[in-house]
Amino acid sequence: MQIVLKDFTKTFDGNTVIDRMNLTVRDGEMLALLGPSGCGKSTTLFAICGIHRVNGGQILFGERDVSNMPSQQRNVGVVFQNYALYPHMSVFDNIAFPLKVRNDSKADIARDVRTIAELTHIAELLGRRPGQLSGGQQQRVALARALVRKPDVLLLDEPLANLDAKLRLEMRSEIRRIQLETGITAILVTHDQVEAMSMCDRIAIMKGGQILQIDAPKDMYHNPRTSFVAGFLGNPPISFLDGRTMDGRFLDEGTGVTLPLPAGVTVANGTGLTVGIRPEHFGHAGDVPVRGKVVFAETQGRENLYDVALPNGALLRSVQPARDDVRPGDEVSWQLNSAAALFFTEDGRRL
Amino acid sequence: MPARSYLTGLAFLSPALFVLIGFFFLPVVLTAVFAFTNMSTSTGISGGSYVITGNLLGSLKAQGVAPTVVDALSQASFVVDEQSIAKAQAAGTDAQFLAEIEQQLSGKAFSEERAFERELKSLRYRPRSIRDLKLAVDQFELSVLNTRFASAAEAREAVSELVPSAPADVVDEIVDASYTGWRWTTSNFTRLVSSSDTWRLVGNTIFYVAVTLSFTVFVGLFLAVTTFYLPAGAASAFSMLWLLPRITPVVLYTVMWKWFTWEGGFVYTAAQALGLPAFNYMKGSVPTAWTIVIMVNGFIGAAFAMILFSGALKAIPVQQLWASEADGASRWQQIRFIILPHLRWPILFVVSYQTLSLLSSYQEIWLTTNGGPGRTTTVWALESFNTALNSYTGNLQYGLGAAMALILVIVGVALSILYLRLFRFDELLSRPKIEF
Amino acid sequence: MTRNFANWPIVLVLLIISTPIIIMYAFLVIDTVTTSPPGSAIPNGFTLSHWRFLIDPTATGDVWRPTLTTILFTASIVVIVLGISSTAGYALSRLNMPFRRYFLAVVLVMHAFPLVTLIIGVFLVLQFVGLYNTLTGVVLVKAGLMLPFGIWIMKGFYDTVPWEIEMAGVQDGASRFTVWRKLILPQVKPGLFALALFAAIDAWGEYMLPRILAPSADFEVLSIYLNTVSDPDSTTYNFNLFKSVGLFYTLPILALYAIFRDRLMNIFGGGTKG
Ligand SMILES: Nc1ncnc2c1ncn2[C@@H]1O[C@H](COP(=O)(O)OP(=O)(O)OP(=O)(O)O)[C@@H](O)[C@H]1O
Ligand SMILES: [Mg+2]
Repeated sequence: MQIVLKDFTKTFDGNTVIDRMNLTVRDGEMLALLGPSGCGKSTTLFAICGIHRVNGGQILFGERDVSNMPSQQRNVGVVFQNYALYPHMSVFDNIAFPLKVRNDSKADIARDVRTIAELTHIAELLGRRPGQLSGGQQQRVALARALVRKPDVLLLDEPLANLDAKLRLEMRSEIRRIQLETGITAILVTHDQVEAMSMCDRIAIMKGGQILQIDAPKDMYHNPRTSFVAGFLGNPPISFLDGRTMDGRFLDEGTGVTLPLPAGVTVANGTGLTVGIRPEHFGHAGDVPVRGKVVFAETQGRENLYDVALPNGALLRSVQPARDDVRPGDEVSWQLNSAAALFFTEDGRRL
Repeated sequence: MPARSYLTGLAFLSPALFVLIGFFFLPVVLTAVFAFTNMSTSTGISGGSYVITGNLLGSLKAQGVAPTVVDALSQASFVVDEQSIAKAQAAGTDAQFLAEIEQQLSGKAFSEERAFERELKSLRYRPRSIRDLKLAVDQFELSVLNTRFASAAEAREAVSELVPSAPADVVDEIVDASYTGWRWTTSNFTRLVSSSDTWRLVGNTIFYVAVTLSFTVFVGLFLAVTTFYLPAGAASAFSMLWLLPRITPVVLYTVMWKWFTWEGGFVYTAAQALGLPAFNYMKGSVPTAWTIVIMVNGFIGAAFAMILFSGALKAIPVQQLWASEADGASRWQQIRFIILPHLRWPILFVVSYQTLSLLSSYQEIWLTTNGGPGRTTTVWALESFNTALNSYTGNLQYGLGAAMALILVIVGVALSILYLRLFRFDELLSRPKIEF
Repeated sequence: MTRNFANWPIVLVLLIISTPIIIMYAFLVIDTVTTSPPGSAIPNGFTLSHWRFLIDPTATGDVWRPTLTTILFTASIVVIVLGISSTAGYALSRLNMPFRRYFLAVVLVMHAFPLVTLIIGVFLVLQFVGLYNTLTGVVLVKAGLMLPFGIWIMKGFYDTVPWEIEMAGVQDGASRFTVWRKLILPQVKPGLFALALFAAIDAWGEYMLPRILAPSADFEVLSIYLNTVSDPDSTTYNFNLFKSVGLFYTLPILALYAIFRDRLMNIFGGGTKG
């Protein structure tokens, strides 16, 4: 089912949190809503599932306008961050609850619960109480409960935030697998970019109640439309240098770094620009040597991470295969790949 | 706007609304309404009738109603007509005698009883005994005195019939004054303001609230802090002990105090054995009566305070206490600098809550000293209750009592609103998150 | 908890200020099974005669009828208070409604203000609706007076239930009523239980309302019965007898309190700041 938000607006006590947001989620895709804390991700999610009322605009499920429908009529499955399992009911009863309130027959309930429990790999846990389950198992129960009614839409609000690192990896692929197997349209709210990139077909990056860019993870990474998006995606994050144009080239006066502007771009001489360089494009093969002093080094096992301070204090980050010949305090001269540099105007737009 | 979701809320609230309106809101309104009436046992609650009594005539005369009219009203007259004959018949007057009266005296009227009596005595079938004669005479008496009229119109008619000469406005005045039901008045309040008793009551009440409150807070604090330091077993024994007064039914609790302090009671016996003054401490002297009243209520309050304070103390991070001990703080310093600051809000809460409940509590006083000796331990709430519902004389003055209660309600509501501000009521409110 | 300080001075002071309570309650029990000579508080003989009232109605009148009435009285009040507080508390904690703020404020004001002062008004209301001198009337009034407290306590307990449970229920297609009944109510069971205990103890001890609002009714609760026994003008006046009846009357409360003390204390977590 396709979901469309048309000029969706939400205010709390006269305070507009989301102003005329437009968003289309395609049928069967998994979309990530990614953004910093407080940007309105949960608010958007709650509006879609019918917990919040919209203050303006429309929400369409397929052709159906659901803006003024209560949750009960929207047929949306939601997985909450803390799972919200019913603590006084067994796993079976938890999963069966949506079916019971719709008055399904006992036999149907038993069958549906079993099917979904097998899909989510919790068939042997049905007799337990939520309190007797691990975090990952609770997560699966919550998913099963959300899916058992065969909802049109699945919403996940930071579903992995409460799991430890290993479980998070496991559940990431599990949720994706289940979503693919059921073919359900899903929206995943997260502020973890890795989660968004690894699980979703497309990512919508939000900031201050606005969607800045929607794209497939790869396109988003390589082709950010603004410096905010560029800075938000990527770990370790991109580094920025400030400078201006000079004879069709970018020049950072403080460090003397000069880079060619991308082909086909013409900017007036002296225009302020910001250039973004991802860590994997500094310290490898490149065309522009940059000198600096290593101020921070961290090994992550397979890779090392370096912060290099340029003469004027600006920092460039570099990720390289593990090596132990460079230490903090060393002077280095590493290559920068100018073809991969991303140029932004002073107000953050991509050139 | 979201009318449908409002409906769910109201549906869930409606049983409570129903009861609260019936037993809180309505009583407040009624109290306010009746505070402006002179309602009492003698006026009744529903409404009255019109009765001209001898007393009333006296006061009418004093108010300047023409003496001729008053006298005429107090006079009876004797009329022989169909009505009075029927009445006499119903009363069992001898039929032959009646027939004779009708025949001889029909249509006649006498203004003096003697004259009528003389006339009757001359009849042939007159009864032998004087008593029977008098009884017969009575049946022909026409008078408004002490007759109950259901409506003002009937009373007016009767008065004008008896005193045709009386001007209409005088008749109205008389009828109006003869009303026995309740009327609207502000006299309850003027009476309260002008009475010196009122100020003594106010003084008593303030004294009672202030002293009992201090007792409650200090004993509560002491109990909470000390049990906090005791080993768990002893602490729970003491807190259980101190909660007894709070859960014991008030009838039993107050009589236990009577047993404790009356003559022949425990303290009495002990004092006697020690050669100390022994008397009924609850009723025998003002200082002892007050002491007992304050202890009776203070013990109950202290239990309440102790629970709240102990709860707050448990929330103090233990590390703070350990740290202070490591720093060499004495126990007193620990209490002063760590424990008391943590108890600021609970203390404030107990003070506000107890002020209100002490202001309006009278059950314990009623069942112990009942305001005595004399009226020395009577507080406002008790007086209001006694005036309205528990008078010795049997005349319950609902109006005056309601006026007193109303004043208490106003003071209470004003204080509550103050406290709601103080405790940042708005923080207790969170908006429902499901907006449908 | 801490061991740095000596405990015995504290225990001593505590004992001293607790003497009235200790003496009163100790003798409450002792006097019911002993006789003491006139002019002395020290018992000199054991007897069960003060308990004769249990089987012999001649001394004080039948005690079992008032007991049954009191049980009925208490049970009705508990049921009403629980039923109404659990719905109203939920509404105030979770549901949309106009003037919600004011309802809450009013409930708080009522809660803070024990409206026995309004007994005059209540008396008149009962007169008008014809419930004066009836058990129903007294039950309703008593339940009504306890409601603000009950509602406030229940609201406190509902406030601690995670919103997500409620949201999940609604997403699962359940109506708000089903959500409340099947999902939320089971979460506040400790609150309901504590409130029930509290209401039971309070109702069991109620004296004033039956006395004033049903002075000449044909039912009698134990508090009234006890007061009749303890009337100094009555011929059977006798502290020991009174204490036996009183202890009989109070035992259920003491038992509830002793067994469920911790659960009862729960209630104070909900209603107050601190
Ligand atoms: N019920 C509410 N009342 C008032 N303001 C609210 C309410 N809910 C959210 N907000 C505000 O709306 C904004 C968006 O909140 P939202 O919960 O959608 O953020 P989020 O993107 O989910 O953040 P997080 O990652 O921290 O969960 C925030 O500024 C928040 O303060
Ligand atoms: Mg959120």
